[in-house]
Amino acid sequence: MISRRVFLGSSAIFARELFGADRAAGRPSAALEKLGAVALREAKKLKATYCDIRISRHHDQSTGIRLTPERGTGKTLEVPSVSDRESFGFGVRVIAGGAWGFAASPVVTPEEIARITAEAVTVARANATLRARPVVLAPTKVYRDRWTSPFERNPFDVPLAEKLELLRAAAAEVKKGARVFSAGGSLQLRSEDKYFASSEGSSIQQFTVTTSASLNAGAVDFSKGVSRSRTYVPLPLQTGWEQVAVMNLPEHARRIREEVVEHLAAPPVTPGKKDLVLMPSHLFLTIHESIGHPTELDRALGYEANYAGTSFLTTDKMGKIRVGSDIVTFYGDRTYEKGLATTAYDDDGVKTTRWPIIEKGIFKHYQTIRDQAHLVGEKESRGCCYADSWSSIPFQRMPNVWLAPGKPETTLDDLVAGVDDGILIEGRGSYSIDQQRYNFQFGGDAFWEIKGGKKRGMVSRVSYQSRTTDFWQACDAIAGPSFWQQYGSGGDAKGEPVQINSMSHGCAPSRFRGINVLLTD
Amino acid sequence: MMTQDEARKLVEKILSFSKFPDCSVGLDASEEAYVRFANNGITTSAFTVERNITIASTRDRKTGVVQTNETDDAALRAAVARSEQLAEIAPANPEYMEPLGLQQYPKVDNWDESTAAARSPVMIPHVRAVIDAASSKKLVAAGFIQRTARVSVIANKRGNFGYHRGADARLSTTIRAADGSSSGWAGHPTARIGEINGALLGETAVQKCLQWSKPQRLEPGQYTVVLEPTAVSDLCASLGFSFSARNAEEGRSFLSKKGGGTQLGEKLFPEHISLISDPLDRRYSGPPWSFSGLPDRRIPWIEKGVIRNLSYDRYWASKTGKEPTPSPSSLILEGGDVSLEDLIRATERGLLVTRFWYIRSVNPQTMQATGLTRDGLFLIENGKVTTPVMNFRFNESPVRMLQNAQRLGRPVRCRGGEGGGMIAPAIQAANFTFSSISDAV
Repeated sequence: MISRRVFLGSSAIFARELFGADRAAGRPSAALEKLGAVALREAKKLKATYCDIRISRHHDQSTGIRLTPERGTGKTLEVPSVSDRESFGFGVRVIAGGAWGFAASPVVTPEEIARITAEAVTVARANATLRARPVVLAPTKVYRDRWTSPFERNPFDVPLAEKLELLRAAAAEVKKGARVFSAGGSLQLRSEDKYFASSEGSSIQQFTVTTSASLNAGAVDFSKGVSRSRTYVPLPLQTGWEQVAVMNLPEHARRIREEVVEHLAAPPVTPGKKDLVLMPSHLFLTIHESIGHPTELDRALGYEANYAGTSFLTTDKMGKIRVGSDIVTFYGDRTYEKGLATTAYDDDGVKTTRWPIIEKGIFKHYQTIRDQAHLVGEKESRGCCYADSWSSIPFQRMPNVWLAPGKPETTLDDLVAGVDDGILIEGRGSYSIDQQRYNFQFGGDAFWEIKGGKKRGMVSRVSYQSRTTDFWQACDAIAGPSFWQQYGSGGDAKGEPVQINSMSHGCAPSRFRGINVLLTD
Repeated sequence: MMTQDEARKLVEKILSFSKFPDCSVGLDASEEAYVRFANNGITTSAFTVERNITIASTRDRKTGVVQTNETDDAALRAAVARSEQLAEIAPANPEYMEPLGLQQYPKVDNWDESTAAARSPVMIPHVRAVIDAASSKKLVAAGFIQRTARVSVIANKRGNFGYHRGADARLSTTIRAADGSSSGWAGHPTARIGEINGALLGETAVQKCLQWSKPQRLEPGQYTVVLEPTAVSDLCASLGFSFSARNAEEGRSFLSKKGGGTQLGEKLFPEHISLISDPLDRRYSGPPWSFSGLPDRRIPWIEKGVIRNLSYDRYWASKTGKEPTPSPSSLILEGGDVSLEDLIRATERGLLVTRFWYIRSVNPQTMQATGLTRDGLFLIENGKVTTPVMNFRFNESPVRMLQNAQRLGRPVRCRGGEGGGMIAPAIQAANFTFSSISDAV
């Protein structure tokens, strides 16, 4: 337990200075290396057979504005929110007696690092009394490196006033619609400074920045007792402020203020088997749930059985089972530029990779980390280890999982032209899938009817249900590379205690034949 | 853990750095120990210490919020200054409410030292008992045992100060057949780790797993259900977020009235449905104040089927001339005095549901949600559990389920796969809508 003196006293180390040092030299900060060495030394002294330490600083900034009518007067009130969160600390992981142990603390001093390392060894030795099998780590090379995700302008350096004005103007544009009840906008910025050192000799410092935003519109029909929303989510990417210009909030503000009103009056869908054309802003989440999760090796091996679940893709199916049609190929990839899960090295200190998960419809490979790769006969980890905080245990997390685009000449219009009775779906809505990733049900943010090869007006109250392999085998067309977009999610939950992960799922608009469409409330 | 005096000194120091007329501080310091297991062995476990300090500075209705976990004077000074810089730039908030003065928080003395101090020597024997129960039947156990000790503090420049310490623990386990053909679950959240019985939970999950072997296919459709308490909690915990007076008045809630107005005072549920929040219930361990800093208290939301209260935040209360209400937390769905077995005996034909999984809102206005059954679904015929059944997806609303509730069992504290759970009874309810079959085990 942390002593009261330490908690109330002075750590006197400022994270910013610690991570900022030696940037020009292109190597990890000497001060970080010195702190890391304390853990490695202590672990060795206590006869741990492996040790790594992560010292990290997480910075999140959230800016938002909500425009709603004042009760009684109807006058539009602009309600702002501004918050800035920093978290700094370290976690030490050891193997002792063939079992993992972990401990973490926010007090980044040499004394506390030594104390917490001893705690981690104590935890490991207790675990060793009830381990199923000793931990085996796949080999990795030793690295000494410093890496920064690419960006032109650090979004944290942009004046807050500029951010607020951007959101205020966009939300006001949405609210201009006479029948728009409420409007809102938000900007989410995140950066992560991370230092990793292992007893095998690696010393790696990395810095990543992500920028994301959203705009929303709400409309209410009091006489019918119905409310509907419409949201614009620009591509969330591991990039800087330059992305904001690409987001083009004003134009999309005008679009969603029209579409929310259309959504409010849109007729309910006629349920039944229909063809679906799914846009990247929607399909990314279907990919995440139905392909990303079942190809996680820890799930297939039963490590997540008590929470997130297991997988229909059991290890005996590797290289054999058909998941999708011939045109369906997915890659696992932590190297793709601007992907939310992109990094140079994972939290095992493994250099990240790209590999086929599904190739021409056949399941080929899992997402792996060092302590599980050998369980499916693989010699190296694919670099999928991640912890969401200094206080969290690193474990297998989803990389960017992206769907390869179709033929270059295939357009969205081609997809729609081939549909006699169908729905085009944009944006994320309700999403739910079983614990082995067979049966899923997805809603969306907006739905358009397709009749006789033409996109018609909006419909409402749409969800579709399918079974993962039926669904992907019903995929008969994917638009070409020029339609491919890298949408992603920042809220993937897994593990006990729960950890959050971000990743991108690039894809182009895709068509699925004969999917069961439901009419919801 | 930090004492009240130490907490007071720390927040007073932070407030002394403030140059703005108003500043409020929230401090959350926690200590956590847990053991995770799978495939009949421990996989990971940890001991972690965390703290978060939230500082909100306000001048002229303009607020900036900063969170930090560094506690040396220089870092705290910098954090206060940063919150003031943010506030200077932020626009004025037209819905801003003056900070609360000194509040009288109800005294909650529910700290259990043995829970707060538990480490591996306390937790691993429970894990061993679960694994022994599974392996003796050639089954495979996975699960999680955790305890948290937490100090929560709120304070502001107007003299308000609240200090609370709470400890909580839980054990849950999923036990599966080695070939993946069956699965069973059991769990127990509690404010007293001494109440956890690994052997009993292991045995419960083992029996579920053995009974659910070779589930049969039933057609989806509407069924009478007997929901075990965890299934009720999984489905109904979201009700805690649905009593906002503002959402109801603005036409966005199941408590909105067609044509305008709210359902306050209306009898929407049968006589035997009562939903309350009660932070003083000793089965819970949370702080006695709500998000806004208002003292929490026992509040009936649904009383004998009638919507008795809506939740008015301080701003909405000021606009409507009402007293502000803390938002619902520490939820209790009251029940009856019959056992789960009695509910099964009273069912001619229906489905017994162990728990639900991956519940997501489909329509926030009707509260229609979708999700799936998990870890044990059984057909009840003529008052007896007869047949294991393949999992179903449902499309159903907790509002409709409670409206269709016929009999209620004894409430217990529950925590399923997602969310913090609630205190809920087993419920027998008619016409529950299952929409498709899931192959998942």
